[in-house]
Amino acid sequence: MVRSLVNLIHLRRALAVRGLTLAGSALDSQAGREEGRIRPARLLEDASLAWHPVPPPAPWPDPVAFLDGVQRSVLLAYAGAAPLVLGDAAAAVRERRARRLAGVLQARRVLLIGRPAALEAAGPAVGGVDTLALPTDEPPHPGRDLANAGRALDRVRGALERSLGEQYRRRSAGWLLVDGPLTESPLWAADSHLVGIARSHATLPFDGPDLERFLHLPAAHRTSVYQPETRSVSPVLEWALRLWPWEGKDIFHGLVRVQVAPENGTPERADLISRRILAERAPLSPAGDGWDRLLYGMHTVQRFLRASTPY
Amino acid sequence: MSQDVPPLGQVVATELKPSTPHQFHFWTARDAPMGIGAIVRVEHAGRVVFGVVTDGVAYSDLATPMHAVIGADGDPVAAGLEPSERVEIRLFTASVLRQMPEEPLQPVPLGPVWLASDQDVALALRMDAYTAGDRPTGIPVGLYAAGGLESPVYLDCDFLLGPEAAHLNITGVSGLATKTSAVEFMLGSIFGTFPRHKGSVAALCFNVKGPDLCFLDQPGALSDEDRRQYARLGLRPEPFEDVHYYAPFKPDGVNLNTLRTHEALAANTQPLVWGLREVLDYAEVVLNRDDVDAKADAFIDFLAERVVGREYQDDMLRGKPFLVQSFADLEVFFRAIFDFMEVLGKGGEVWKTHHLATIRKVRNRLSNISTRSKGLVTDDGVAQDLPWGAFADRSVHVVDVAGLDPLAQDLVFARVVSKLREHLERRDLGVDHVVVFVDELNKYAPADGAETYVRKMLLDLSERGRYLGLVLFAAQQFRSQVQRRVVGNAGTAVFGRMDMDELAMPAYATLSPAIKIKLATLPKGELMVRHPHFTQPIFVRFPRPAVLGGREGIERFPPGPELPFAGAVARQLRRLDRRIAPSAVEALLEGRREDDVRRALSATRRERPADPLAFFSACLGRRVNGEVVGPRRGVPAVKHGDDGYGI
Repeated sequence: MVRSLVNLIHLRRALAVRGLTLAGSALDSQAGREEGRIRPARLLEDASLAWHPVPPPAPWPDPVAFLDGVQRSVLLAYAGAAPLVLGDAAAAVRERRARRLAGVLQARRVLLIGRPAALEAAGPAVGGVDTLALPTDEPPHPGRDLANAGRALDRVRGALERSLGEQYRRRSAGWLLVDGPLTESPLWAADSHLVGIARSHATLPFDGPDLERFLHLPAAHRTSVYQPETRSVSPVLEWALRLWPWEGKDIFHGLVRVQVAPENGTPERADLISRRILAERAPLSPAGDGWDRLLYGMHTVQRFLRASTPY
Repeated sequence: MSQDVPPLGQVVATELKPSTPHQFHFWTARDAPMGIGAIVRVEHAGRVVFGVVTDGVAYSDLATPMHAVIGADGDPVAAGLEPSERVEIRLFTASVLRQMPEEPLQPVPLGPVWLASDQDVALALRMDAYTAGDRPTGIPVGLYAAGGLESPVYLDCDFLLGPEAAHLNITGVSGLATKTSAVEFMLGSIFGTFPRHKGSVAALCFNVKGPDLCFLDQPGALSDEDRRQYARLGLRPEPFEDVHYYAPFKPDGVNLNTLRTHEALAANTQPLVWGLREVLDYAEVVLNRDDVDAKADAFIDFLAERVVGREYQDDMLRGKPFLVQSFADLEVFFRAIFDFMEVLGKGGEVWKTHHLATIRKVRNRLSNISTRSKGLVTDDGVAQDLPWGAFADRSVHVVDVAGLDPLAQDLVFARVVSKLREHLERRDLGVDHVVVFVDELNKYAPADGAETYVRKMLLDLSERGRYLGLVLFAAQQFRSQVQRRVVGNAGTAVFGRMDMDELAMPAYATLSPAIKIKLATLPKGELMVRHPHFTQPIFVRFPRPAVLGGREGIERFPPGPELPFAGAVARQLRRLDRRIAPSAVEALLEGRREDDVRRALSATRRERPADPLAFFSACLGRRVNGEVVGPRRGVPAVKHGDDGYGI
């Protein structure tokens, strides 16, 4: 378990002594994430995109675990025009047995992110904190560098998640539900006991009438199984599942994409996994966390990680 | 202090719920054996803090109840079937019992929390100051239990029986083994553990209702658990060895006015009979009720100092002196005054500076006493009293006033307690400390109503008794209805199951809602104890008293039937000599006046002669045969031959 506290006040004071220009603001944790696009998928079930009612919800057998990660970054100072960012990325697995969730794995990294020159300018002021250098193929630009820092931290978090997911699967035969796609890892993409639940819809798998049908999916229904087109080489199968009625709300309300290994892509397995995910609708996650798509197990992982943030 | 067991909780502090020198908050796992009343220890950075849990909250991460409804689709059954249990916190609030070191006094550190061990309990309650050393003064009051741990809790006898503090007050609803059981257990505990170096101790109990205290000398049924608790407390589960019962007679003067009339219990059940002198000294008890003024007091003083118990000569009233020793003699004296005032005094209003109306008022009140206290007050002037000056160490004296008129009860309280005080002041009672147990304190020392002699006496006892060794153990159902100074002077207070209405009174405002609900639902045999050494109330369990309870006692020793006059006299004589045949007594009483019989019986009981029947017969004296009056003859007419009328 990682538990090292970072005193931001002391850190900023030391940077000021080194002649850096202090700055202070929390950065958007979504910075650097994917922008909206359509990547047409290949339908594997049905001739055209169809809705399938999901049989009554049925809970996962014990044990089942939830993997999620968080990241947080703050702008500390500028070395000239180059920003220095303190980032915190963490991931954890919480396992459920007999209805009780308990943490089983956790990893965290606190990093000082910036151009090499900026990191050098900070020098020993940030002693003890790992550093992560940003690429220097382009001249310094505060906005671009901050976006790069966000992406770098995102990759660190992703790496932590993959590491923990693989560790968990090595030690447990239980199912592991991951907050996000499985395509990040070839091991994940091939694991028949991993289920990725993507809550973001920046990349949509259809366009035209199919997209409309995709987005109008009724509650407790799933779409046909399809193979999404991804940048990753890891092949996974996917379908959309509506957890809560969207009518009268946003069109994405309660809509998640379920990613599984190819062997779980049969209609029967899709129904079974959908039933189990539907059972996870309750208890509800708190309203502020996008409760309509965030499973409670994931919420507890996030809450656990945020409660133990080092600064 | 090394820890062999893992902590059960962790102190937390926020801006809204900070840790202070007197209170702290800690969380535990959901299944931790932590509860209201548990004693805990916080140990962190060289500081040890003991606290008692006074409140607790639990909540989950549910933002609003509506989310639970939505999550369960409106079906409460489905709510219990959710695949994950919500994250939940158990957050307890504890009040500080003790900090070590005590200086500098600081907020409770944010450290781990353990349940208190035996040693911790002793330290937390400061019992280490009086249960250890060469001259320990601890009196077991019960067992503190939490989380599978069990520790004896001791009171300091210097603060229970004086001289530092004293008195015990017990509050609890009726019928749940609180008041009577608690006091019986406490007396047993005191008798079993009161240190020799503190002197001797006896108890005097007033049995004010039913058979509650009628079987203190008989063993009660105890379970194995009770015996285990006695062993844990270091006490022997035995009834009291030296118990004496005193009960007045019923109005017939021969049947005892008590439920303890079973033949097998007769040996230590004695009559309580008082004469005019005993009553007159405490006349204020009954006279102050009706607003008797200073004039009446002056006349009573006159009677007490000049008339009662000595020869009083007043040639104006009658030629020979008065010797007033009984209510009957007093009535003769009053009659003489009234006759003098009506006939010889030529209708005057004043006799020896006392107004006739005052004299009549005093006569009425005193006469009222003898009427309402018939059975307690004798006309023959011979009293049978408690063994003043001969109280033995560890003896219990029970005065059964349950069947008496309230006025007579007041009289008994006043006189008995006053006599105790007199003897303790003179150090000639026979013991150094006396515990006086009074039940239904709200009746005798009420918070509201007119000032009575008994209330003043109880207040005086509670304020000054500890210096004399006179200690009040009192019980009531509603503490709020008792005179505040009387309960306030009780150094130790015990609370059993309480009524919620009572707990809503301002006097209980210092208790947390959780403590109140615990008090309202306390099971039998559990108490909350306040004691000067404990900075917070502590919950303890105590075993059943080792004596026979009132209800069981009545079943095992059913009261003897109320006998006709002759039978009752025979029963009393048979207590002195079981060979006496009832038929012989009945033959002896044939044609006798009941007052003469009562007088002879009283003398026999008092003398306890070798041959009670012969002595009784001698006291009765020679039988006076009734005079046979022959038929009256008519008065013959006077014959006068020289009647001028020629008849």
